[in-house]
Amino acid sequence: MFLEFLFISSAVLTVSCALGVLVVKNIMHSCVFLLGSLMGVAGLYATLGADFVAVTQIMVYVGGVVILMLFAVMLTGGTDFISRAQNLLGLAPSMGNKWTYGMGLFVGVVFLLTNIKLLMGLTQTLPTKTINNEFPSTVTEIGHLLVKDHVLAFEISSVLLLGALVGAAIIARPRKQN
Amino acid sequence: MNQTVVSYLSKYEFYDYLLALFGNNQGVLAFTIYFLLALIIIGMCATIGGLGTYAERKISADLQARLGPNRVGPYGLLQMLADGVKMMTKEDIMPFTADKALFYLAPLLCLVGVFATLAVLPFAGGFIMADLNVGIFYLVAISSFVGLGVFLGGYASNSKWSMLGGMRGASQIISYEIPVTISILAIVLLAGGMGFGTIVGQQGGLPHQWFLFHNPFAFIAFFVYGVGALAETNRAPFDLPEAESELVSGYHTEYTGMRFGFFALAEYIEVFVVCGVAASLFLGGYNVPGITIDILPVQAAQFVIFMTKTLILYYVVIWIRWTLPRLRVDQLMSVCWKYLTPIAIFNLIGCAIWMVVFNGKSIAELVLGSH
Repeated sequence: MFLEFLFISSAVLTVSCALGVLVVKNIMHSCVFLLGSLMGVAGLYATLGADFVAVTQIMVYVGGVVILMLFAVMLTGGTDFISRAQNLLGLAPSMGNKWTYGMGLFVGVVFLLTNIKLLMGLTQTLPTKTINNEFPSTVTEIGHLLVKDHVLAFEISSVLLLGALVGAAIIARPRKQN
Repeated sequence: MNQTVVSYLSKYEFYDYLLALFGNNQGVLAFTIYFLLALIIIGMCATIGGLGTYAERKISADLQARLGPNRVGPYGLLQMLADGVKMMTKEDIMPFTADKALFYLAPLLCLVGVFATLAVLPFAGGFIMADLNVGIFYLVAISSFVGLGVFLGGYASNSKWSMLGGMRGASQIISYEIPVTISILAIVLLAGGMGFGTIVGQQGGLPHQWFLFHNPFAFIAFFVYGVGALAETNRAPFDLPEAESELVSGYHTEYTGMRFGFFALAEYIEVFVVCGVAASLFLGGYNVPGITIDILPVQAAQFVIFMTKTLILYYVVIWIRWTLPRLRVDQLMSVCWKYLTPIAIFNLIGCAIWMVVFNGKSIAELVLGSH
């Protein structure tokens, strides 16, 4: 009963807030709706029993990404944006030209096909998950998987993050006057 | 599995009686227990927050050779109630140009973020509302709502003081989250788990069994955590978001009445929470020396021990506020990024090496050769 309640409330929160992001005119309000949507996704993870992933979702998105987005919006003064649209492609002029729209369409088609492929599987019954009693908690299990089976992906992603850090430091560094 | 207060109570006989009373409906009974306990804990912590304002004024008066509040009730103890009544009866002013929805939302985000952390705070053995496997991680994650509330409060007021305070608050909170989290991670390494039950259970009641004295790196980590926690709760010497000498009152300049009260209450309860976390991570938590049985008198003693440690730390936080001058913004950032973060990373690596080299033994175990 509790899991159903958690699932339904998280799902409603996710979808309604995602719609709010699209509908609301004020970009700050969109950011706050995005926060609600991401919280809903965390609730969905919690429904699935993935407590570590749920908390990581809150940690990364609420604590980091949404605050950074709010900062970016506020520092660039994006709230008084006036659309000077004339035609369909110019509806949102800051969003690009026909090439970017073409790329967007292509990505959309690929995404749709992937989703259809995934949803086809829903009609079949899924194999029941074997519960692994070897580990006392999901945290331990994730830890073991990260440094044993998936150690290469783990290391590569840490190199990627290091690259991002160094890049940010280089961009933000004051340049020499010459 | 995650332990909760319900799964703890279900070991006892009276749980079956209660279950029969609720028509064998497990969900409703669990909900009722959580609801009642949440009411008790939130009521208790709100009182502690209120008494915090009293303690703040009384201790500051002590440090400055003044009297402090002394008119309402014995020793001015009822000052808190008078303040509460005053705040609730004040006019709720909404600035004309404010962003209404966010202006209403911001104090609530602060308060929700702080109250949500109380769910995992270990008051006594068995009486943790939810002893999650990811307990400390959950606490760090959910308390980032406070930073969001501070930031949105500053933005929504549409005033320059609030804006500057809010931006300082958000940048300060997300910067200091890094050394704090890395220091906590060092303790997670020592305990071998992120749940509060595990972390407290790995320590003992006597000082040589605490993680504070486990190894030199953990000892340094305690102070890194302390400084970072002061900054995360916007306490002096890091109270730049509400620096009254330059920003009027910072992010809550435009807030009046109970909405301001929510911000103030959230701050005082958050100080209590970070002190409680410090007490349970480094100072042995609720452990009673020598006794590990879970019976009611022992649990009462555990509760008293936990509260004593936490409130002593609370006193130190107030003491620091009235002793040290405020930092500048650039000093604040250089303290975080140039000193605390490298020290915290050094501690983490040091703890990891210690665990490997000495096979997880603490200094006391190495010296005394026993537990």
